[in-house]
Amino acid sequence: MKTSVVEIASNLMVKNDALAAKLRDRFAERGTLVVNILSSPGSGKTTLLEETLSRLSRKYSVGALVGDQATANDAERLSRSGVPVHQITTAAECRLDADMITKALEQWEQQRFDALFIENVGNLICPAEYDLGEDLRVVLFSVTEGEDKPLKYPLAFNTSHVVVVTKIDLAQAVGYVRSLAQQNVYAANPGISILELSARTGAGMDEWIDLIDGRIRAKALAPTH
Amino acid sequence: MHEITVALSLLEGVQTTAAEQGIERVSAVHVRLGALTGVVRDALLFSWDVATSQTVAEGSQLCIEEIPLVVFCESCDAERAPRPGYGLLCPECGTPSPRILRGREMLLVAMEVAA
Repeated sequence: MKTSVVEIASNLMVKNDALAAKLRDRFAERGTLVVNILSSPGSGKTTLLEETLSRLSRKYSVGALVGDQATANDAERLSRSGVPVHQITTAAECRLDADMITKALEQWEQQRFDALFIENVGNLICPAEYDLGEDLRVVLFSVTEGEDKPLKYPLAFNTSHVVVVTKIDLAQAVGYVRSLAQQNVYAANPGISILELSARTGAGMDEWIDLIDGRIRAKALAPTH
Repeated sequence: MHEITVALSLLEGVQTTAAEQGIERVSAVHVRLGALTGVVRDALLFSWDVATSQTVAEGSQLCIEEIPLVVFCESCDAERAPRPGYGLLCPECGTPSPRILRGREMLLVAMEVAA
C-alpha cells in the first residue's frame, strides 16, 4: 500500500500555554500573586500550606487550590485555616493543568485574592511541564528524601524560582548534608533561593512568610499591563 | 505517568488534521518526545492503542523519536548531553548547565495516510 505523509508539526503544550497566558492576564488585572507548589508525595506541601495560609490570612485575602488524584483530605485539612480552599480531584491525571485551574476559578469569580496558592499533585515529573499562570513556582523537598532529588528531577528544579527544603528539624536524625543538597540544586538552577524550614517547629517559617509577603506587595503595586 | 493524556492530545491533533483534509484512515503517526518529559515509551504505545480505538487512527502505528537531553555548557562553550541521573551537569567538566537546548519536546510531527 502506498502512503503519503501529512506534516502536522504541532506542540502538545500549545493549548495549555495559551490558557496559562490567559490566567496570567487575569491574575495581573486582579493583582493576585499565584504560587504553584511542586513536590514528591509526602514532602510536606500540605503542612507548609496549612501554616502559610493561617499566617497570611491575618493580613491578606488568600485562597488555595489543591490537586490530588483522589480524596479531599488535603482540602479538608487546609479548610481548617478558615480560608477558601477548593479540591481538584484529577483522577488519572498526575498533574494540574491550566484548564483545571480555569474551571476551578469559576466558583470564585467575585472573589479577589491577594494570593492564591496551588498545591500541585505530588509528583516531580509531569507538573514541571505545565504552566499554570503562576508568578512563583516553588519546589519542595524534604531532608528525608535524599540530597540527590534535584539530579533525578532536574526539570522541576530548573523551572522553579524558589526551593524549599522541608522537615529541617529532622536534618540531624537523617544525616542531611546541606552542602550536597545545595550543590545538586544549583546543578539544575544556579543561584536559585533555597529556604530551609520546618512547618512543624516553625524554624525558618518567618523567612518563607517574609518572601511571600514581599511578593504579594510587589504584585499588588505592579502596573496591570 | 501521563501517557494517556499525551495519547489523547496526539489523537486530538491527528483528528483535527484528518478532518480538515478529509482523511479517513491514518496508518502511522510520528511524534518527537524529549527525555525530560518523563513520558514512558511502552506506556505511550499501549495508551495509543487504547485511545485510538474506533477513531480515524485505529490500528495505526505510533512512531516515537526520542530526543536526548542536550544542554549548553558555558565552560566548554559547547552542547553537551548530561548523563541520566546527573541532572544538568556537563558530563565533560561537571559545570551546572541550566540552559536546556533539547529534551523538552512534545511534538506531533506528521502522520501517514494511505495514498
